[in-house]
Amino acid sequence: MATTTVTHPGAIAYRGRRSWLYEWLTTTDHKKIGAMYIFTSFLFFIAGGVMALFIRTELAAPGVQFVDPETYNQLFTIHGTTMIFLFVMPMNVGLANYIVPLQIGAADMAFPRINALSFWMIPLGGLLLFSGYAVGGAANAGWTGYVPLSAQGGAGLDLWLMSLVLLGMSSVLGAINFIATIFKLRAPGLTLLRMPLFVWNTLVTSVLLLFAIPVITAGLMMLFIDRNYGGGFFDPALGGNPVLWQHVFWFFGHPEVYILILPAFGIVTEILPVFSRKPLFGYKAFVFATASIGALGFTVWAHHMFTTGAVYLPFFSFFTFLIAVPTGIKFFNWLATLWRGQLRFSTPLLYALGFISLFLIGGLDGAFLAVVPFDFHVQDTYWVVSHLHYVLVAGAVFGIFAGLFYWFPKMTGRMLSERLGKWQFVLLFVGTNLTFFPQHLLGLRGMIRRIIDYAPNPGWVELNLLSTIGAFMIAASVVPFMWNVFTTLRGPRNAPDDPWEGNTLEWATTSPPPPYNFDSLPPIRSERPLFDLRHGLTGHGPAAAAPRLTAGDDTNRGEAAQ
Amino acid sequence: MPLVGLRQPLVREGERAHKTRSHRTARWLSLAFLGILAAIVAACSGAAANHPGFEPGYGPSGPGPGFFPLQPVSQQGQYIFDFYPVIFWIAVAVFILVEGLLIWIVLRYRRRPTDTELPNQTHGHGGLEIVWTLIPAIVVTALFAFTVDTLGKVETANTSTDNPALTIDVTGFQWQWTFEYKAQGIKLTGVGREGPTMALPVGEKVRIRLHGLDVDVIHSFYVPQFLYKKDVIPGRVNEFDVIVQQAGTYAGQCAEFCGLGHADMHFTVVAMTRADFDGWVAQQQQPEPSQEPPPSGAPSVSVTSVGIVEGFNPTELSVAADTPWSVSLTNSDPVVPHNFSIRGANADGTDWIGQPNADGGGSAVYRPPPLAAGDYSFFCSLHTNMIGTLRVGQ
Repeated sequence: MATTTVTHPGAIAYRGRRSWLYEWLTTTDHKKIGAMYIFTSFLFFIAGGVMALFIRTELAAPGVQFVDPETYNQLFTIHGTTMIFLFVMPMNVGLANYIVPLQIGAADMAFPRINALSFWMIPLGGLLLFSGYAVGGAANAGWTGYVPLSAQGGAGLDLWLMSLVLLGMSSVLGAINFIATIFKLRAPGLTLLRMPLFVWNTLVTSVLLLFAIPVITAGLMMLFIDRNYGGGFFDPALGGNPVLWQHVFWFFGHPEVYILILPAFGIVTEILPVFSRKPLFGYKAFVFATASIGALGFTVWAHHMFTTGAVYLPFFSFFTFLIAVPTGIKFFNWLATLWRGQLRFSTPLLYALGFISLFLIGGLDGAFLAVVPFDFHVQDTYWVVSHLHYVLVAGAVFGIFAGLFYWFPKMTGRMLSERLGKWQFVLLFVGTNLTFFPQHLLGLRGMIRRIIDYAPNPGWVELNLLSTIGAFMIAASVVPFMWNVFTTLRGPRNAPDDPWEGNTLEWATTSPPPPYNFDSLPPIRSERPLFDLRHGLTGHGPAAAAPRLTAGDDTNRGEAAQ
Repeated sequence: MPLVGLRQPLVREGERAHKTRSHRTARWLSLAFLGILAAIVAACSGAAANHPGFEPGYGPSGPGPGFFPLQPVSQQGQYIFDFYPVIFWIAVAVFILVEGLLIWIVLRYRRRPTDTELPNQTHGHGGLEIVWTLIPAIVVTALFAFTVDTLGKVETANTSTDNPALTIDVTGFQWQWTFEYKAQGIKLTGVGREGPTMALPVGEKVRIRLHGLDVDVIHSFYVPQFLYKKDVIPGRVNEFDVIVQQAGTYAGQCAEFCGLGHADMHFTVVAMTRADFDGWVAQQQQPEPSQEPPPSGAPSVSVTSVGIVEGFNPTELSVAADTPWSVSLTNSDPVVPHNFSIRGANADGTDWIGQPNADGGGSAVYRPPPLAAGDYSFFCSLHTNMIGTLRVGQ
């Protein structure tokens, strides 16, 4: 039987022939691919973050003093595109790539080579996007690329279009891979309603991608044809309609928000039971809420278009409000999970709690936007900027850091420093609020977004300065994280297999796992197989005397999983 | 066994000390959280107290808006403003409820060294879950009903049949506005960053029709103190009705990102009494004093405005110093108006703005003042990125 220092005989054989670099460049191992996703997307996070600092520095005071308008327009376009398509999406895919096969007791993804292909499209897509800077200016029409403005720009916009098509392709391949993996490779006993919530969220995210990406890809192609071959899809002079782009874009764009945030929901939902020593409160309600958020995500696209005068307002208002219901279920079930628990305030839990407390703000200020008349006032103002950043920074970024701290020991066999982690948390928590909360008030006072210069109206100067200070605090919070990872990776392997008393299967293998993941699996009788192993199914008795599954038993796990 | 890790004693070396520390950290963090909230509230009310002295055109001074929108000056804005507290206080209640529970949980349910037994393993509670599904569902349904009601009041253009007292046709283009009062025969195109001024009578229904140019991009007509905006979309005419209730000068700006000059696409709305408005109309209707023809034999130069992106052709002109001269502008841009202006050419050092604009496909002749020798830059005051160099020789 394996021990914590197990090495697969095959791995030794490879090592003799292949260099370290060749191994990483050609790997089809979901863990290595996951690690490469995480590393690459973190680099893009830094790039997008530096752009955000440029933007906030320019906006620290009224006037145009730091960059010129053209540079500014490129900055916020590439910042948004990078953070969404090259940071949050691939980071989520990277975490899921590493963790989902482990959580379902599989040896790898269903299509390992397609998995590698999906990954390598990411740096290529990033290269295309950033190469705009080498051909006379990157895309400058905003991440939403509204036509006809996006029909005007230079070659940077064509590169932007190609980059997004490529990144979309990567997402679709990844989504198919996850769906196949989750449906076909679950360990015996791991029924759908025993799957960890992170797996559920990855599944729903993948389904959303599968429906949303083809639509935006079609739109991107149409715009490419309009720009280069005289197509008339969006050109009113040729009988086209610029509003059509907004429909196509947001039919993708709103589900995209859930594509970005659902994995964070999944991470938080994994962490809370572990660190409160309680089961998830209302497992089925979580599954239901996740699926209905995904479904409702396709019914609200035009709430981004209330001021176009071209959509039926009450329909989209109603469904936007309705999303508050499943989201509310999640919040209350999260709180009920923690209620009367025994909370251990390690960094993953801090980030999960930070997520709940701040994502709430992003949920509430989003509900304001469902009030169509109020949206008339704050559409395209800093209220919207604040809302989307409370969702994507306080939501997705906090969830991602929660996940990184939670699974880092599993991935590397090393524990990150709790002290540095907590410093980072405090800086990020304060910085996020300082940056984005004042933007609500700017929006209420009518400051519009995407402007390089603003009038020194009452309150605007102070609020913008606060926001800029906050942005630098967020940037400062990344420094302890990088130092933490750097020093920990140089340190000894000090992480046990299951440092947090986890519930799910990834903690049943070594840290880091061997290339083939598991020597044997514990019996799966609930959504917490490892908890059952420690405490028995009742939560009080000793471990049930069930036979352990070993490698020989799981030859037909695909059928058994049903 | 791979499960060795599971069987390791959970209380490791230094765990006890670590626990005490994490308790302290937890308490400290929750206090810090409360502190931040308090600081944000204080900062906001502080900023609000510091209120008088709005920018010209930014409305009356008074108590600051704080967590509320700007004080509206239109009837439609007032409907929105009156509805805002409903959702605001519901959001505040939900915020306090959730954050309160969270802080309570953080303070009360910390893991203590005495916690050796597992806590009660509650897997759910059907009744509770139904309650916190139904209550939000009822709240949002009620909010939706209020929303539709308010929306109906705001969007009178689509529902009411009575004719407006005044119709203003607005054209937004990169990066300027044209306000046209067709019935009164007035057409105003903005000049420079300030943009044009829209005068309208107080207390009367004004219909604003928004036109985009086919060759242009999307803009949005936004007057913050109307609490209202509507997009200006090529190939489409949007319209809305507004009744301004309070005389004053209100800033407006393009709200939809439209490229290089987006931040400079301002305009001003001046609401005035009916008598003042009639006076304003009469004043605007007076023919502009026709320019004296340039003295025969005065030097003349020609320049073509090609387009917003392409700029002028040529980009360098030469004229003699201290001599009356004229410039004829040919606008080869098919739709967008342009003009010929000179930076700092007026006697008081301000920019000399050539008026009227040459409409798309049209032309205009300007007579700038005689200039002292030196290099000047000429530009289109509608599109300040269109620039060229004017060399004034001896």
